[in-house]
Amino acid sequence: MSKFIATALAATMLMPIAAKAEGQIEVLHHWVSQSEVEALNVIRKDLEAKGFQWKDSAVGGMSGANAQQALRARLTAGDPPGAMQFLGWEGVQWAEQGVVRDLNDLATAGGWRAALAPQLLPFVTSGDAFIAAPINMHRQNWVWANKKLFDDAGVAVPKSWSELIETGKKLKEKGIVPIAMGDEPWQIGIIFDALLSDINGPEFYQKTAIDLDSEALGSPEMVKVFDALREVRGLVDDNFVGRDWAVATGMVINGEAAMQFMGDWAKGEFLAKGLKPNQDFYCFATPGKVTSFQYLIDSFGMFIVKDEAVQQAQAALAETIMDPKVQKDFNLIKGSIPARSDVSVDDFDDCAKLGFKERAEAVEKGSMQGAMTHGFAAKPEFASVFSDVAAQFFVGKMSSEDAVKMLVSGIDNAR
Amino acid sequence: MSASTRMSSRLAGWLPRLVVAPSLLVVIVTVYLFILWTGVISVTSSKFVPTYDFVGLEQYVRLWATPRWHTAVANLFIFSALFLALSTGLGLLMAILLDQNIRAEGALRAIYLYPMALSFIVTGTAWKWIMNPGLGIQKVVNDLGWTDFRFDWITNPDMAIYTVVVAGVWQSSGFAMAIFLAGLRGIDNSVIKAAQIEGASLPLIYRQIIIPMLRPAMLSVVVLLSYIAIKSFDLVLALTNGGPGTATELPSTFMFSATFRRNQMGVGAASAVMMLMTVAAIIVPYLYSELRSEKND
Repeated sequence: MSKFIATALAATMLMPIAAKAEGQIEVLHHWVSQSEVEALNVIRKDLEAKGFQWKDSAVGGMSGANAQQALRARLTAGDPPGAMQFLGWEGVQWAEQGVVRDLNDLATAGGWRAALAPQLLPFVTSGDAFIAAPINMHRQNWVWANKKLFDDAGVAVPKSWSELIETGKKLKEKGIVPIAMGDEPWQIGIIFDALLSDINGPEFYQKTAIDLDSEALGSPEMVKVFDALREVRGLVDDNFVGRDWAVATGMVINGEAAMQFMGDWAKGEFLAKGLKPNQDFYCFATPGKVTSFQYLIDSFGMFIVKDEAVQQAQAALAETIMDPKVQKDFNLIKGSIPARSDVSVDDFDDCAKLGFKERAEAVEKGSMQGAMTHGFAAKPEFASVFSDVAAQFFVGKMSSEDAVKMLVSGIDNAR
Repeated sequence: MSASTRMSSRLAGWLPRLVVAPSLLVVIVTVYLFILWTGVISVTSSKFVPTYDFVGLEQYVRLWATPRWHTAVANLFIFSALFLALSTGLGLLMAILLDQNIRAEGALRAIYLYPMALSFIVTGTAWKWIMNPGLGIQKVVNDLGWTDFRFDWITNPDMAIYTVVVAGVWQSSGFAMAIFLAGLRGIDNSVIKAAQIEGASLPLIYRQIIIPMLRPAMLSVVVLLSYIAIKSFDLVLALTNGGPGTATELPSTFMFSATFRRNQMGVGAASAVMMLMTVAAIIVPYLYSELRSEKND
């Protein structure tokens, strides 16, 4: 009899372990390019070392919009994936629908809140709940420049937007395309976001891109932003229509163009060609009185599921993602920097080190803000108005005053 | 009549209905039910996910106050009108020319029809490069010596929609030609001979006799092409991606981005309903008049 009890006890003790070994978690994400898949393998391997299986469910395309559609279909059918990659407000919005698992126990035990910059918390928490584990952070407002072209023209890294525009004009006289870019609204939006903060300060960015304050939106300061955007247009060649961002990066690498405004995913293109930061190319933040750090993060949220094995796998995945070592290895491959602020900067390249330094400064000065164009400021219905107006203004002949009027009425219409 | 033959004749009566029923059911659910559902969503405040509250026509008011939607509607009319007129006109002209008993007609027909075999994505991407001033036609002509030749419509917000027309017409006029050619082959030669004996000139014969006799072919072409025009989402996506800026936005691209990228499901549904109304307003009277006149014949 006692033997039977012992066996039963052993069985119950073994059960969680057995279930753990079988725990498989399906992860829905939109990372399909080679470096992205390699970076994900870091997470996958760590998860597998803990005894869980990663079931890959990649839906690429449309900057994640396709994956969002897939998720909607799955949730409607009552069959959500175990975990999902979130961008911008997506996680918060799903949490409001009551379908996202609260990871607060893990977050409290792991001290996650303290490890993240406070500016990130609105995107990974909902009320008291901790709803998503952020893996990486990209900075949107970088300038990538061809060092040789700068040296040949005898120009230095610009310290203000007026200097930058002067530099551009000098380069243009020499027959070089000063700024390489495409006409896609999000590429124009990257410049617009930077100008909002750089010209009028981070408070202005807060009032317009985040708080949608009507007075600030219609103010003369906003007219100045559009005036500067018009100057930037003068530095872009006329063949920019339909140009992919990576093609524009290639122009800077090949010496056809001098500068590109792009997030730090452009860095991979330079590094893949064997180019070295500060030797072959420059990376610097868009210039402003207060240097801004406009971030975007990728995070993974877990959906509420009944299967206990999946629940355990979810907890393990969240802990893997928040593991400083995983964050470091992942971001060394992905080209971004860890979402955690406490990971050591050794082993990263000079651009990433500059990013670390300026992030710490920006957190103190209040100039660390979400990048609107990538969905980390105003909600999409408002952010899209900004991007529509900026894009129409940029490609057409609209006056700055008309653009401001259009912006104000567009935002009011979307409220 | 024996019981079994009565049985089988009754079965024969029911069989067509039985066979059609599953596909009818599928169409009712996947098309008409979802049209209805879209209509319902358009009068709710749905944003990120559907919510079922009633807000009246608020989303329609919002839709019509959006400048991007005005661009989209204007573009749809410019694009559809030019696309229909040019594709039909060119298709008819090519069909008439090919119908003159020329040599190698089969090969020519295949060449003209071939673009139809490409997807709009391929057409759009190819024309994007052909019309890019730094890569395509303009560069070639400039390099040949005409240095002030300009063909930069695709970079000009006011002209970009016409590049979509060019690419669309290139793709679809061969298709119109094929249908017209089939129609021409169906015309009795004796009618033309009789007219010739009466002394009618060839242009007169075409204008007064042959083209009016192509009416059924015309109906098919117009209906099929207008449906291509309305759903030309992928062509715009590949050719201009709605740009420069938002200059080549069409209602279909507007609907997609409002619903799936901008958290405005209600506005997206309202725009879909507006599209349906527009199509219905044009196609229904046309079908009605055509089908009625057919019955009268």
